[in-house]
Amino acid sequence: MTAANRVTYVWVILSVITLVSWWLGPGHAHGAPGPSVPITVAVLTLGLVKSRLIIRHFMEVRTAPRWLRIATDVWLIVFWGAVLGIYLY
Amino acid sequence: MTTTEEKRDDKPGVHLPADRDMWVFVLGDLVIFSGYFLIFMVYRHKEHQLFLDAQQHLSLTVGVVNTLVLLASSWFVARSVVATRAGEFDRALRLTVLGGLCGVIFLAVKAYEWTMKISQGLTFPSNDFYMFYYLLTGVHLFHVALGLVFLGVVITALRNPQRRQVKTVETGATYWHMVDLLWIVIFALVYVMR
Repeated sequence: MTAANRVTYVWVILSVITLVSWWLGPGHAHGAPGPSVPITVAVLTLGLVKSRLIIRHFMEVRTAPRWLRIATDVWLIVFWGAVLGIYLY
Repeated sequence: MTTTEEKRDDKPGVHLPADRDMWVFVLGDLVIFSGYFLIFMVYRHKEHQLFLDAQQHLSLTVGVVNTLVLLASSWFVARSVVATRAGEFDRALRLTVLGGLCGVIFLAVKAYEWTMKISQGLTFPSNDFYMFYYLLTGVHLFHVALGLVFLGVVITALRNPQRRQVKTVETGATYWHMVDLLWIVIFALVYVMR
């Protein structure tokens, strides 16, 4: 796969995930909006996936030195884990 | 230490895109923004119903449009890096300009959204949700503006045969993708999660 093609595939996936989030969001045929653990867990999971796609492919951390790959993955896990933890607490 | 890292960087297929200093800045900024986001989450936890009710007045459609606009801009900028490496500088220049134009569209949509909210009487002191909404999107907007300056530097460099360096284009791109990344988090936390 060429680098340009890879970037384009990633962009398509990111845009599709965004449209899925639109459907999951408040006020979309779900009746009165209320708290929803399954929807929020899905939204946060998609947020983590999108963040990692941007970091690995757009920011090119995929081929970066090990310290940067580890640092960004640690951030992803700690940050999204903390958001979910506070939400579920 | 530096020598070891440099050796690692020299491994085949391993490459640090952008300046090391830019990465220090990007990682630092991610930590600072994480602090803002987690404080938002704590307030949201304490005033869950208020945040859900207030969130209803945000247009998810506007949020989605702006997300798609920033993703497209990142796509242009990422392809500009690929084109620069291939020595296709004119193409890289066009792609960077398109990326910057998407950034300007983002600013325009955000200005429209703020104007609509303010005309509805939803301002900074309305409640804690709107305080965070203006704070987070405002600080992010500043980053978009700064990102446009970086893209301007890249455009200037690409136009000058003596200053066309892959590192410069990579550094501008890395900052721009961070702006995209931060928006992805704002979109999930402020607009979509319930």
